[in-house]
Amino acid sequence: MSKERIAPAVFEKVLPALIVVAFLGAWQLLVSLRGIQPVYLPAPSAIVLAMIQMAADGSLFVNLGITLLRIFSGFLLATVTGISLGLIMGMSRLFQRIIDPWIAALYPLPKIALIPLLVIWLGTGESYKILISAITAFFPIVMSTYAGVCQVDRGLMKAAQDLGASRRQVQFNVVIPAAMPTIFAGLQLGMGVTIIMVIAAEMIGGSTQGGMGYVLINAGQILETETVFAALVVLALMGAAIMKLQEWIGNRLVPWSHSR
Amino acid sequence: MDVVVDAIRQVWKARQGASVTALDGVSHRFRSGRFSCVLGPSGCGKSTLAQIIGGLEQATSGRVEIRDPNAANGPVRSGAASVMVWQNQNLFPWRTVIDNVAFGLQMRGVGKRERHERAAALLATVGLQGFERHYPVQLSGGMRQRVALARALIMEKPVLLMDEPFGALDAQTKIVMQEELLRIFEQTHKTIIFVTHAIDEAILLGDEVIVMTSRPGRIKEVIEVNLPRPRHLEMVNTPEFGALFDRAFHLIRDEVRRAMAEQSAAIRGAA
Repeated sequence: MSKERIAPAVFEKVLPALIVVAFLGAWQLLVSLRGIQPVYLPAPSAIVLAMIQMAADGSLFVNLGITLLRIFSGFLLATVTGISLGLIMGMSRLFQRIIDPWIAALYPLPKIALIPLLVIWLGTGESYKILISAITAFFPIVMSTYAGVCQVDRGLMKAAQDLGASRRQVQFNVVIPAAMPTIFAGLQLGMGVTIIMVIAAEMIGGSTQGGMGYVLINAGQILETETVFAALVVLALMGAAIMKLQEWIGNRLVPWSHSR
Repeated sequence: MDVVVDAIRQVWKARQGASVTALDGVSHRFRSGRFSCVLGPSGCGKSTLAQIIGGLEQATSGRVEIRDPNAANGPVRSGAASVMVWQNQNLFPWRTVIDNVAFGLQMRGVGKRERHERAAALLATVGLQGFERHYPVQLSGGMRQRVALARALIMEKPVLLMDEPFGALDAQTKIVMQEELLRIFEQTHKTIIFVTHAIDEAILLGDEVIVMTSRPGRIKEVIEVNLPRPRHLEMVNTPEFGALFDRAFHLIRDEVRRAMAEQSAAIRGAA
């Protein structure tokens, strides 16, 4: 590559970062020059300060930890139930017939609308938060598992049968691995909605159980806008980290669809 | 193994209660240790015939019998003596090359070490040494077809069913694969039933060419190919080859014309 070719390549990489820095600088300048009240729009430096403070008194890690624990509990519950039910539906016609109307009826319901009912039944404790997120994540997981099993190439199943695989062997050695990429796509969708529902549940539910959703709503109510922003930044970073982790797991679990 | 098909009839249910007859009264004896090519226009049911012989499709009526001509015992269960090589290979994309080849042994409960040893040995004979850990998606079409061939050969079945295995390959790769298959046939003397729509391929490879009619598929004529073995590509230029080609070509041309006329009528009817 010639020198003229390298320069634009470097520029292409540096420019987006420069724009972010410029944006933050402009924000900082705007706030201090126009004297905007921190209640409406705190300066980036104030947000960083709030984050440092939350980290220093430990509340950041406690609340983030609680939220993550809820997210993974809900997600795990949804994964286990969703994948098992999806597999059974895909492999047994009778079971599919029985389950299908229930899923068809419950899927379009906005799951967040179940919060009042769950609070009546379970109170605002852990079981409510985990259950609401698990219910929400269950649907994309069960549906993509079922779809994945149904879409398995008949040719592959025939080839396996021709090579001496029994019905059960075909299901374990062909149907499940062939459905893996679709199942994994469902898990990614499920994780996305789990995060949303845990944060929402934390906002609507308890005041003493903590969590990032609680930090957010509480800071909002007492007009600590810096803390609101700080919590948002933490949540964005958390979401990005979870997504990266999922991508990494996906690449290890489904290597054949990434090794082109 | 002799493969006898007797009055095979295959009828598909189509829309609005109509039905399509794919195969109609196909009877033939594929003799043990011979290379038989089934030649026909597309849609004549030749792939279906291969799958029926392989026990992967149930014929509407008729009988398939696979038996050892030298043994006194009865016919073997359909599918037990044969293995299929598919046009689109049907390799398992989540398995590496070696695990694709070892699939059949794994299903039989052969231990990992032994099945990998045998798969590696077979991969070497089809010229794929060093590609054991690759995934099918990383290979070219010709290499994938070699994997598919090795995956079938490892089963050590006396009957090899091949459903247009080289149909999707480019012309040069196809020639190399044909030579390789001839070499394997001349070494192992399996009973090969090879489905194709390429006249030259059928004559170059086969001891006999079974020419099928277009839908419904029936046997139109069986051409004996008396070219000497071992076969090689240069034989294409001999007058004997030319005469056989001519004969098959005239038989098949009428069928292709008829099939095309039917297709355009069907499209016009649908429009």
